[in-house]
Amino acid sequence: MRANVQQPHAPQDAQPILWVRDLQAHYRTSHFGVRRGVKAVDGVSFAVRRGEIYGLAGESSSGKTTLIKSIAGAIRPPLEIVGGSVEFAFLPGYGGLHRAPPVDVARIRWRHLSYIMQGSMNVLNPVRRVESAFVDFAYPHIGGSRKQFEQQVVAHLARVRLDPSVLAAFPHELSGGMRQRATLALATICRPDFIIADEPTTALDVVVQKEVLGMIRSIQRETGSSVLFVTHDMGVHAHITDRLAIMYAGRLVEEAATAEIFRNPLHPYTRHLISSLPRIGDDTPREGLGGSPPNLADPPPGCRFHPRCPLATEICKREVPAMLEADTGHRVACFAVNQGARA
Amino acid sequence: MSGYLAYVGRRLGQFLLVVFIGVNIAYVVTHASPIDPVEQSISAVTSFGNTSPGAIEQMRNSLRELYGLSGTPVEQYLLFWKRILRADFGPSMSAFPTPVGTLIGRALPWTAGLLAVSTIVAWGLGNLLGGLAGYYRQSRGLKLMGVIAMGLHPIPYYILAMLLLIVFGFLWPVLPISGGSAMNLPQTWTPEFVLSVLQHAILPALSLILIGMGSWFLGMRSLVSNVLAEDFVVYAELAGVRSWRILTSYVMRNALVPQVTGLAMSLGGIFNGAVITEKVFGYPGLGSLLVDAVYAGDYGLVLGVTTISILGVSIGVLAIDLLYPLLDPRVKVS
Amino acid sequence: MAILLRDLLRHSPEFRIGAVLLAFVLLLSVLASFSPYPPESVYVVPPDVPPSLTYWFGTTSRGQDVFWQLSFAIRNTLLFGCTVALISRLFALVIGLISGYKGGWIDRALMSVNDTFIVIPLLPILVLFYFVMRDRISWLMLALIMACFGWAYDARLIRSVVMSLKAREFTQTSLFSGMSTRQILTEEHLPYVMPIVFSTTMNNMVWSIGLEVTLAVLGFTDINTPTIGGMIYWANQHTAMVAGIWWWIAFPTITVVMAFIGLFLLALSANAYIDPRSRLWSVGEAS
Repeated sequence: MRANVQQPHAPQDAQPILWVRDLQAHYRTSHFGVRRGVKAVDGVSFAVRRGEIYGLAGESSSGKTTLIKSIAGAIRPPLEIVGGSVEFAFLPGYGGLHRAPPVDVARIRWRHLSYIMQGSMNVLNPVRRVESAFVDFAYPHIGGSRKQFEQQVVAHLARVRLDPSVLAAFPHELSGGMRQRATLALATICRPDFIIADEPTTALDVVVQKEVLGMIRSIQRETGSSVLFVTHDMGVHAHITDRLAIMYAGRLVEEAATAEIFRNPLHPYTRHLISSLPRIGDDTPREGLGGSPPNLADPPPGCRFHPRCPLATEICKREVPAMLEADTGHRVACFAVNQGARA
Repeated sequence: MSGYLAYVGRRLGQFLLVVFIGVNIAYVVTHASPIDPVEQSISAVTSFGNTSPGAIEQMRNSLRELYGLSGTPVEQYLLFWKRILRADFGPSMSAFPTPVGTLIGRALPWTAGLLAVSTIVAWGLGNLLGGLAGYYRQSRGLKLMGVIAMGLHPIPYYILAMLLLIVFGFLWPVLPISGGSAMNLPQTWTPEFVLSVLQHAILPALSLILIGMGSWFLGMRSLVSNVLAEDFVVYAELAGVRSWRILTSYVMRNALVPQVTGLAMSLGGIFNGAVITEKVFGYPGLGSLLVDAVYAGDYGLVLGVTTISILGVSIGVLAIDLLYPLLDPRVKVS
Repeated sequence: MAILLRDLLRHSPEFRIGAVLLAFVLLLSVLASFSPYPPESVYVVPPDVPPSLTYWFGTTSRGQDVFWQLSFAIRNTLLFGCTVALISRLFALVIGLISGYKGGWIDRALMSVNDTFIVIPLLPILVLFYFVMRDRISWLMLALIMACFGWAYDARLIRSVVMSLKAREFTQTSLFSGMSTRQILTEEHLPYVMPIVFSTTMNNMVWSIGLEVTLAVLGFTDINTPTIGGMIYWANQHTAMVAGIWWWIAFPTITVVMAFIGLFLLALSANAYIDPRSRLWSVGEAS
């Protein structure tokens, strides 16, 4: 039995809402003469369609967080966008939030593009009440009288099963699960077109995690938002995402419908990720993958996975494999898999 | 609520400990002396002549009690505490027979006013400018201010006060450089008197403010730089919250929390600065009183000012501690 | 250590300026050994001569050469600062390491006492001490007393560093491998605490020299040993400013301010070197 995979319900032919093209984002630091350059995102391309939950998987330090920071325009030194573009349908023509005029970016933030951040512990201002976050984040976009706004917030909190009393509480007075649900309500109250969710459930225990995932799913269905869902947890991806991209050492290695990835993983790294998932009734020992993820300050040449890859050949050490369509809607970057496609 | 009470209890305990240890240090210091300070003081006073034998006897008795030279060591110690708790330090020898308490009572408002105003201005302004400097790191004006703060902050109060005295007293004499108000004015609440008090306070306050501001500026600037990287600030930026609101309600609001603790911790040092600054400008507060008492050999007055200083600073610290939960709601649970 | 100094010199403008200022001050203090006049002698040169080629910094109303007098004064003042700093480092290290490492009620008790010492206004107590001791107060005795009061703030800093170290993995490893508390503290934690100790030493010297100058200016120390504060005291006694003998006050003041700013900048740059977050600030210059 493979992990339980839901059928995608977003229409396969829906228009994209986000295009990422050959994005390169590097960290450059200099501290008392020690210079470092880390190529955290190095040539990533993909598109997210309207109304779908697009998953992004990969180990920690694979560049996931840098990728979504770049997409969200949260770029501050030492992070730099070195090349490529990011384009949202609701902010056309600039090639990225970092290049758009601040006025336009401020206009689309939260209204069109919202964010659920990793680590619910510290995303709310610790010295102010929860209510003030709703006022600061959402009121400028929703408008109307304060009374109406308050009613709307209370109604929205009910969707994530939170009592209106949390508004008067300080963040430290709430449990981790309550805080995460409050953040979820905060991120969705403006019914944004696009939500970036960075490990939204990682810090929660399994029961709460499932509950929060269900809420994300139901709110997303109701508002028709697109979600870029990032987590290292393949089980969570199987549970919630429609399509899934796998990231390794700053590059995408495979992308397909989530069900397809679990049914028919093509890239050796994806296969490793899926085979290491625990399955009920299967006691066979998991084979480990030798080596460790590369140091992005000095990545290996060619395919970055080749030092750990069981299928590696000479070409993998020299050339970078391109993302090619191996099957309809199933892209993969691997010389071994794409031999047929190349010929 | 019970969390707040527990917090208040802890702070009160700390307050009592400070007073207890402070008074004990005063006791040990005065009793460590190998000479008999009573006779030494008496002879210093009588050498100026014309003091009646009765007055000398009265002085000797109260000094013996304060020094605790009569009775067993335990009795001496208890007597010392009794005097201090009643704030009864006997008559002053340099201004006989005015009680020490009266002299201190006269000087206290000057010092309290000078300290309160200059500390609040230095703290408020230093934090505001330091916060801006941490947020707008590229601003040249604020960078320059940082360099000036680095140059000012390590200079001791005495040196800066003296420099101001030289500049405004000798090179460009525009401000009064001595006293608390003009000599010829009666000390009543007339507009002339208030104006004169304010004029006389400018230089002493300025020396306290310039140095204090430097340290709050530097502290706040580095705190803000750290808070900027916190998740809740990044999150508010991603939500498109206006940058002025982020700076005030998110960044500075959180960076202020350790600055309040810092204020409580540096109150003693600020008081040290006020003592010497008052002396430089002849300001009629506790500092001048203390230094002049040493010159005059007035033991009761020196001990009285020292004890009241310890008590006053501890009360200031306690007040800040009790206001602290207003700024940081987290203390109620931890 | 050599690499640390090299990096600081090369990349921290604060450290460079601080080092240059301190180098000047140190050079002056070393010159004291070559003085043609003993420091206590008065009326060895004509009094009240303004700065000239013969007397670079002028002469005092007491017939002393300001330059040579100043070199003695700054040497004694710096020695005083070092003495206080070294002795109080011992207290700060012991209290900070024990408090941070042991935790629990020992930590709470030590920190209560510690906070008391931070809060108590020291100047009135030192004045009281002088009042009782009068002329018996010596240079070393004052240094000892100030060291007894000057450790508290730094003990708190060291404690917080140890507490963060304690949570790290290698402490547990050492604990399970059977090292004693003393071994863990000295062999595992001390190297991490040393940079903090360096920067607090500089700050502590600024603090103690400042207090010493203050006391000396008031005449509340051994005024016959030349120090910076002592020089200003004698100048004030002779109303040098009013009499126009500005060089008597100006040169000691400039010298001691150089020392203060130099020490403070060294502490500041050492702190920046330790704090990993400051790396982000230096990014602007990287590319």
